[in-house]
Parts: sequence; structure tokens; C-alpha cells
Amino acid sequence: MNRKIYRNLAVVTAVFALALAVMLTVSRVQMRRTSPLQSQVMETLKELYESNPDNEELGQEIRQLDLLSRRAYFTQESQLKSGIWILCIMGAILAFCLRMYYKDTMNLPAKELDAIDEWISKSRSRRYLNWGVAALIAVTLLIGVFSSDRFKALFHSTRPDEQIAEEQADEVDEPANDYEEYYAQATAPEPEPESEPQPESQPATEPAPSQAPVTESAPETEQPKPEAGTAPEPANTNAQQPTADTQQATAKTAPWPSFRGPNASARSSVRGIPTAWNLSSGQNIAWKAQVPKQGYNSPVIHSGSIFLTGADEEARELYCFDLASGQLRWTAKADGIAGSPSTMPNVNEDTGLAASTVATNGEQVCAIFATGDLLCTDMEGKRLWAKNLGVPDNHYGFASSLIISGNRLIVQYDNNDKAQLICIDTRNGNQLWAKTRKDRIAWSSPIITQAAGQQAVIVMGNPAITAYSLSNGTELWRVECMSGEVGASPCASDGIVFGASEYATVAAIDSKDGTVLWESDECMPECSSPVATKDMLYVATSYGAVCAYNASNGEVVKQHELDTPFYSSPVIADGKIWLFSNSGKCYIFSTGAGFDLITSFETGEQTFATPAFTDGMMVVRSEKSLYVVKKS
Amino acid sequence: MNKFLIARFPKPDFTSGYQYPEIIHGLPYETFWSWMDVAVLIIMLSIAAWAVHKRRSRSVLFTESIISVLYFGFFRSGCVCSVGSIQNVVLALNDSSYNLPLAVLLLFLIPLVSALFFGRVFCAGVCPMGALQEIVNVRSFRLSRAVTNALGFIPWIYLAFAIMYAATRSQFIICRFDPFIGIFRMGGDIGMIVFGVILLLLSVFMGRPFCQFLCPYGALMGLVSRVSVRRVEVTAKECINCTLCHNACPVDAIRPPHANRPEETRMTGVRRILLYFVMLPLLTVGGALLMQSRSEVLAGADKDVRLMRMLEAYDAAPDEGMTPEVEAFYEMGRSIDELSERVDATLLSFRHWSLIAGGMIGLALGCRLIRLSVKRTRKTYEIEPAACVACGKCFNYCPQNKSKINTDKIKYEPQNL
Repeated sequence: MNRKIYRNLAVVTAVFALALAVMLTVSRVQMRRTSPLQSQVMETLKELYESNPDNEELGQEIRQLDLLSRRAYFTQESQLKSGIWILCIMGAILAFCLRMYYKDTMNLPAKELDAIDEWISKSRSRRYLNWGVAALIAVTLLIGVFSSDRFKALFHSTRPDEQIAEEQADEVDEPANDYEEYYAQATAPEPEPESEPQPESQPATEPAPSQAPVTESAPETEQPKPEAGTAPEPANTNAQQPTADTQQATAKTAPWPSFRGPNASARSSVRGIPTAWNLSSGQNIAWKAQVPKQGYNSPVIHSGSIFLTGADEEARELYCFDLASGQLRWTAKADGIAGSPSTMPNVNEDTGLAASTVATNGEQVCAIFATGDLLCTDMEGKRLWAKNLGVPDNHYGFASSLIISGNRLIVQYDNNDKAQLICIDTRNGNQLWAKTRKDRIAWSSPIITQAAGQQAVIVMGNPAITAYSLSNGTELWRVECMSGEVGASPCASDGIVFGASEYATVAAIDSKDGTVLWESDECMPECSSPVATKDMLYVATSYGAVCAYNASNGEVVKQHELDTPFYSSPVIADGKIWLFSNSGKCYIFSTGAGFDLITSFETGEQTFATPAFTDGMMVVRSEKSLYVVKKS
Repeated sequence: MNKFLIARFPKPDFTSGYQYPEIIHGLPYETFWSWMDVAVLIIMLSIAAWAVHKRRSRSVLFTESIISVLYFGFFRSGCVCSVGSIQNVVLALNDSSYNLPLAVLLLFLIPLVSALFFGRVFCAGVCPMGALQEIVNVRSFRLSRAVTNALGFIPWIYLAFAIMYAATRSQFIICRFDPFIGIFRMGGDIGMIVFGVILLLLSVFMGRPFCQFLCPYGALMGLVSRVSVRRVEVTAKECINCTLCHNACPVDAIRPPHANRPEETRMTGVRRILLYFVMLPLLTVGGALLMQSRSEVLAGADKDVRLMRMLEAYDAAPDEGMTPEVEAFYEMGRSIDELSERVDATLLSFRHWSLIAGGMIGLALGCRLIRLSVKRTRKTYEIEPAACVACGKCFNYCPQNKSKINTDKIKYEPQNL
């Protein structure tokens, strides 16, 4: 064939190949840039669907659009691949034509670039190598400098000091492996309560404006309304009026971040809790306030604030009270949440719509209601996120309390058809992991302790007590020993996990491997959760018996027949055991094998919630009110 | 599916009843075909050795190149190849739990053994990557030898990195960045296909850019072929210094006669060599320490380390959302402790192997500098065994290889005189 034909063919092929290459490159760039599933139309449709999940037609439309988008993308990708192959073939034709065109002159001498003296070439090579290696070393060192933390800290604009401070704060708030460590961290900067100067008592009828806590306004935050009845104020005229010092001091108090305190251990080393008080006279009562809406959940304390919830048919609300003054600082409503039911689920009167205790990590406060609405706000009540976990199918009403470790919110989400343990990022509501449990519905709450050599979530259900890895939800061990309706929560101490439920058993389990150490059926709780020390396990029952077990062998060491039901859980604080009966009678026992009843007295208000403790103070939620017990 | 697709096409937000098919992993490398590869390799190497040393036939080698591209390239999808087998061998030497298939070991050893006896006949037409470049080559425009000598150091760096990443079980970078695998498999990473196409376009106008400046196996082959029993020779007869072979060589491996009269005193050259000998251990240790000091950065290529850093990044800035890897980590229920343990072990391994890799680079640099400082005299055209890929282009150009000049086709035409 004529050389000219090869030349022309080569030119034509080259032009077409170039044009095709440009087209393919543009197409590729476009494909990289577009995210078809994140299109405006799709997002809008999804938002519409979220607000109206029953609209099957809309769902179908989204499915179709989703499918079309995916199909369009892959068709385009397939076309791109075909184009590349056409390009390859063109390349082959081009190479062939060039070979044929240069057939006779392919290996004509190329221009000699090198000096005749080979030594010059070698000298240049050495120079190039030296420069090249020097450049390589410089690049390596530069990479080291740019990737160093110091450099990032100096120049990285996305890490301002505030963020670093927040991270440090996160580290401080990171829950420790056990209660003592947790408490030590939380209280490290604090002086001993005994040495702390007590705030001056200043009886006053209402808080002075200058002393009122400052609350930032937030769209989701409802400020206390001035109307009577909805704006709880310190009700007791004899209550102490806090000073600015008091407020500052309380802001640093030991946290009680969830149901039964840090890691739900129900133990506190705080001191100076009065062993007697009188709601009528105001003796040893710092303040007393009304909670706007009813709820059986317990108060939690963090950074000088008390958090709790209340709910009725109209609204579900998270409240923040000032620990020092008792003033309602803010209210966050769990409303406008996609998937939230318009009519309240049927719940037992004894459970209500707000039985679950909130949890906080000092950065976020999370609350859940019987509607399945999960709400998380910052410490000022500004909603960070909210979601509905699905309306609970629960014949008594959802009652499991939340617990937080670091940024991990643990939800025991039990329904009649499915029992789940869900871990959610408190900062954004992202689900980190979820485990479907092989248990029937329970009303128990999870605790956090060490198990199988790692931080674990212990969950009680029917029929098992199970330990899950806190980091990823892996099941560490499972002990099937429960039955019936499990309402009490587990507790742990000194490497032993205790679980107890009425009509089932009291079991002690080795937290390392799930070995059952002993079981007993002498004294079993219904709703009240047990508390354990290294040597003893204390149980309060709904039929009036309060028992102390020997933690090592399960023998009942002592039992008090008090003939009054207990739903509230016993707490060990200030070296004593504190327990409220449903009628509102407070029992204070000594710890240890003695387990003597030190004192008991009627508070005058029915109490189902478990009290919260912080330095020198006990926060009690009765059926009618919220009050703080503190030495006058 | 690549990261790009996963990010854009997550699983649908709600269920549609569609059942995700069970993931089926490909069958392991079939025994029959692996042994067939070894057999074909041996046969082709034998033919190549015969064609290079006995027959001195370029056409046989070119035919082999086509067969190699078709068999090892397109039919066997370019895997396992001798170039990539370096990593399997290194991994097997470092990790006793890794079971190195015998066929892969042979694919690694046989070309090296053949190089020990016959020079780089594997590169001549048996390696599918070299063969593909050979087929598309039209003209061989040269770079300055000063530049090619310096660029020839790159394969050693590549080899050191490949060894480090294979030994730490992080990545097989030779396979990952194989520029021709996408072409052989008719699919794959677009970026690598484009890179392969660019290399092929370069190959049209210059001799085997991949073999010269990138191939890590070529670095080993070059090292072995320096001491090969039979070196590639342009002709069995006496060289007449006609320069034709030198002009024809696409990889500039044929060195012209050289008088060795540098414009410096003998003592200057001796001092330089002595200096480089003194620097050799310093370069080795310096390279080792420098590389080790960056071991944490280098470890970023490991998937576990990367995942751990993603988890840390997510923890630091959760608002930026989860990467698909982080999401998968949580969904799969993997343990942070277990991941952390693996990462610690990997980082330790990287500290060890980056030291070795850095030392290797430093040593290779020192040796190259010494070699470039040696002066020698050549009276005829000589083939540099480490650089010669035995493509055979020079054979046809050597007048000594012509048994006789065929004058039958030459017609007497007065106008041609």
C-alpha cells in the first residue's frame, strides 16, 4: 500500500482519537462531578416522603427516580468504557499506520544527544542524581513537616483553639472504666466538699434578676413562661436563695449523668448529704420546684444543671433546672420530628409517656419518650438533632433509660416484635451500630462496665443478660437466666455483674466470661434496680422486703421487711444506702454486712424516681415536685 | 465497586424487597492454568534464548512478543506475572502464614535464572508488558544518556517501596499501579488505563519507557544479567564499528567505543570513588533512618491504618459525615480494640520495613554513583548487559550477521546511478 495512504490514515485516526479522547475526558469529569442521587428533585421528594411516609405513590416515584438515576449513571459509564476501547483500537490503528509509514526508515540514526566523551555524560548523570535525591529528601522532610501535628495546630484553620479545647474537654469527659475513675475525672479539679465554703443562706421570695441564670435563646428552646403554673419558681419560701458563688460552685459539681449515676452504677462518693429534711418547713431543702409535665423518669445532673423530662398528650418536653436556684432554665420540646405519631401510643398509667431517664455527657443532653421520639440538645437546650426510632410496640409503655459513654448514646429499644440495642453518635444522631437481640421485650435499662476486657454495655432482657462491646456492639457473652417481664436493671461491681428480676432469679455473673457465679430466688425486685459493692448486693422489692446479699456466694445476709413497695432504686452515697418507697418514705441504711436501718421518715410526697446525688446535695423527683436536699 | 461509586450510590434509603445477591468471590488461581503459565514461560524463554544467542533473529522475538501479549496479557489477564510475583515472594519470606504457591515462586525465579545464564531474554518478548511496548514502537527517539542513567534509579525506589508494602501486608503496589493490566483485562481503573495508554503512546516514539524507567523486576533482571554466563552480543563475528547497532538500539544499551580521556586528573577520579565508597554506608544508614522517620506517613497506605485515621477524623469532626469505610466498619460490628491492635502491629512492621527499604534505596544510590564514577576504555561497540532488553533490533542491522548480500532484487537502472 502506498505510504501516503498510511500517512493519511494515521492523520485521520489521530484527529479522531484526539477528539474522542477530549470527549471522554470531559464526560469523565462530568461523571465525577455529578451526584445524581443527591439531586435537588430527589432531595425534595425524600423530604416530602419523610413528612408523609404513608404516601406509597410518592415512595414509588422516588424508587423509580432512584432506579433511573442509577441506570443513567451506569449506562454513561458503559458508554465511557466503550469509548475507551474505541480509543484503544484507534491507537492500535495509528501505531500500525505509523509502523507501516516508517517501515523503511524506522531505525534511521536518531540525533546523537550525548557528548562524544562518555565521561561528560556520566558526570552529568551524577549531578542529576544528586539533585534528584536532594529533591527527594527535601520532599520527604517537607511531608514530615506538613503532616506534623505542630504544623497542623499552627496553620490549620479548621482547628481553632476552641475546638482543641473542646477536644480536651471531650477527653476529660470520656467515661472511665469504672465508677471510681469516672468520678475521679469528673471531680478532679474540685476541692473536697468539706473544705468548700458553704454559700451564705439568704432566704428570699424570688430570685433577684442579677442572679438569674443566663440562657441563650434558641429556636427550639422554649423559655419559661411567666404565667402561673407553667413557670415553676422556687416554691418554698424558706428555701435557700443561691448566690453567684453558689451557682459557680454548682456548675463544677460532680456529674450524675444518667439513670443511677455514672455508668448507672448507683454509687457516689459525695459527702455531706443531710439524713433528714422537711418539705413543709424547708429544713435542709435548698429549693423545691414544680415540674411542668408529669414523668416517672429520674433527674440527672451535669454542670450545675438538672435535666429531666415530662410529657402528656399535648407535648413531650425536656427540662433543664438550675441546680443552685431551682429555676427552670429552659424547655426543649420534642416536636416536629419526622415519624412521630400524631396520637399517643397506649401506655400504662404507671409508666406514662416519659418514664425514660435522660442522659448527658456534658456536651449534649439526650431524651427519649414513649412515642419513640429521641431528642438531643446542647447544654443550653438548642436542639442538635431529633429522630423517631419508630413508635414503640410496648404494652406498658417504653421505659428504658438512656446512657451515654463519650459520644455514644446507648438505647435499649425493646418492642414486642423486636428487641434492639442501638448506639448513636450524640453529636449528630448518626447510628454507629445496632444489634437485634434474641430477647423478648423488657423495661430494663442498660449499664456500662468492663466485661471481657473491654468497655461493655450490659443489657437485661428475657431470657438473657447480655454483654455487648461498647465500641461496636459485638456480643461478648450471654447468660440466659431471666424470665417474665424484666423491669429492673443490672448493676456491676468488682468484676461481677448482677441481674435480678421478680419471678426469675438474682444472678451473679463473672463479667470476664459470663460465667454464672451464683443464683438465688430469695429476694427479687420488680422495678427497683439493685446496687452492689465489692462485698454486698442490695435489693429492694415491690412487696416491701429489702435485702442484702453476700456478693460472693449469694447468701442473704440481712433482710428488712418494710411492708411498702419500692419502685425507686437504692443508691449508695455518702457511705449510706438511700432508698425511697413509693409512698415517699425515705429509708437510710448503713452499708456493709450490718445493713442497719439508720433512719426513715416520710417526705410527704410519693416518689418513684431514683434520686440524683452531687456534692452535698441530693436531687429528688417526687410525683409532684423536684427538690434539692442540702444542709441548711 | 470503587469508592467513587459507593459514595454516590449508597444502598437505597428504604427497602424495596430487592434481595442483595450473595457475594461470590472468584475462584483461586486455578492449578492447571498456573502450571500452564509456567510451562509456556519456560518454552518461550527457551525460544527467546535461542533466538537471541543462536539465531539472532528479531522476527522470532517479535512473534514471541505477539504471543506473549495474547497469552499472558489478554488470555491470562496479566496475572500472576513475574513482575508482580516479587511481592508474593517478599510476603512469603516475611509472613509464614502466607502460603506462596509454587507456580508463583517459579514465575519469579525462572526469568531470574534465565537472566543468569542468557541475559534479559525474559524482557525480549516473554514479558507481556515489554512485549506490548515493543509491538507499538515505531521510532526510538533518544533521551540524553545522562538523563536515562539518572532515571534508571527510579525502578530501585519502586522496588524498595514494593517490598516494604508487600512485607507489611499493606498493598501490592506493583499490581495496583500496573499500567497495562487495565488494557489486558479490558476494564478496571480508568486512571490506570489512561496511564497505560500514555505509556503506550510514549512507546510509539521511544523504546520501552516502562521497562527503562519503572519496572522493578527489570532492576533485578539488570542486576543478575551483569553476571550472566552468556551475554547478549550483536554478532558472533568481530565488530567492525559501523555504528548501525548503536543507532538501532531503542533503549540505548549499546555503548560506542570510548577512549577514556577525561579532563580531570587520575587522582581526582580516585578521590571521588573513595569518597563514594565512604559515603555508601552513610547513604545506606541515612536512607534507612530518613525513611523510618516517615514510617507513619508511609503506613497511611495500609487499609487498617487508613481506616483508623478515618475513624479518628470522624470522631474529631462528626458533622462532616461518615465515609463509606467508617460506615461499613460500624455496620460490620468490628472492634476498635482489634483494629487498634492491628494498626499498632502494622505501624511496628512499617518501622522495621521502612528502615530496610530506605537502606536499600541508599545502597542503590551509592552503588549507582560509584558505577557512574568508573572510567573504562572500550574499543568496540559493547552491549551494556543491565540495560539491554534483548529485543534483537540490532541483529538485523549488523552487517556481520548477513551471511550474504542478496543482489537478486537489485535492478540496474541507469537513473539510479
